[in-house]
Amino acid sequence: MKVHSVRTKVVIRQLPPSLAHSDLIQQIDARFSGRYNWFSFRPGKNSHKHQRYSRAYIDFKCPEDVFEFAEFFDGHIFVNEKGTQHKAIVEYAPFQRVPKPSTKKDGR
Amino acid sequence: PERSARVSKVRPPLHQYIRKLLFSDLDKSSIEHVLRQLRKLPWNECEPYLLKCFLKVHKGKYGQIHLIASLAAGLSRYHDEFAVAIVDEVLEEIRLGLELNDYGMQQRRIAHMRFLGDLYNYEHVDSSVIFETLHLILVFGHGTAEQDVLDPPEDCFRIRMVITLLETCGHYFDRGSSKRKLDRFLIHFQRYILSKGPLPLDIEFDLQDLFADLRPNMTRYSSIEEVNAALVELEERDRMVSADKASSEKHSDNEKPSSRTS
Repeated sequence: MKVHSVRTKVVIRQLPPSLAHSDLIQQIDARFSGRYNWFSFRPGKNSHKHQRYSRAYIDFKCPEDVFEFAEFFDGHIFVNEKGTQHKAIVEYAPFQRVPKPSTKKDGR
Repeated sequence: PERSARVSKVRPPLHQYIRKLLFSDLDKSSIEHVLRQLRKLPWNECEPYLLKCFLKVHKGKYGQIHLIASLAAGLSRYHDEFAVAIVDEVLEEIRLGLELNDYGMQQRRIAHMRFLGDLYNYEHVDSSVIFETLHLILVFGHGTAEQDVLDPPEDCFRIRMVITLLETCGHYFDRGSSKRKLDRFLIHFQRYILSKGPLPLDIEFDLQDLFADLRPNMTRYSSIEEVNAALVELEERDRMVSADKASSEKHSDNEKPSSRTS
């Protein structure tokens, strides 16, 4: 069992509910292109009843890049189309596993 | 008052089928079949909806949550992206629940604790995830201005969360480092419990059952002073152990996690 191995997987929370995947990835790639192995976007929801923030998970190739990323995106203000501001939070993801890159295709 | 008849939600057939598989077909005898049917789905199209349904463990029967966990573990072989996402989502739900502390969410929060415990039982997450979650539950929001909203003194819900998780998977922490981690956690937990003052009887009884089950010989402290002293002692011991470790350079950690699936 791995005990305290280096952490590279990060979660960005409290992103605007209506944030588009492409907008986020564009902002990330402007600085961190090629420095992560895996990225997963979880869109939020913007209905009257339930509002849910968007989230994203990133797995960096190099554990040091996490710090630079946090410096840039932790507390970063995202402004949506209506001018509402959302302050993002960057943290280590509580579950550090990332999907195996080549999952077998299911023969079924 | 005039009101139009309530329009019931019309779901696409594929979604209906997924719901039928998970919420009505699934039981102990059909799980193999359900897993096979799930694998046959057009995944590109269905994955987001499947994720949503898997997280609705609170809608189904409490006693069947482990079947959903088993499916999640079973799918990881072919859909690892999905299997990882399940865990990310559950942990997010647990965190969000702590952030909102919304009374109306209690039932699903309990179901999610059970689900996480079952994901451990099916070896889909390791013990560090469980212990980090347990500790998060004890400390989240404490020492902040919002403490009285997030965890008011008379609110015992977090105790329920811990009980549920440990009822589900605590009995596997009976050897090696996870045993030590649980011992340590239970002392912190006792401190948390004592900070609540007198407990409602139903919670007290559940706690007695939990301790009797997991650590029948552990002292239940009766005052904050006692438990604090126990924690100081624990830290002392840790310091000595880590000093020992440092001196005997080569420390091999040959505790293998025992197989969990029964």
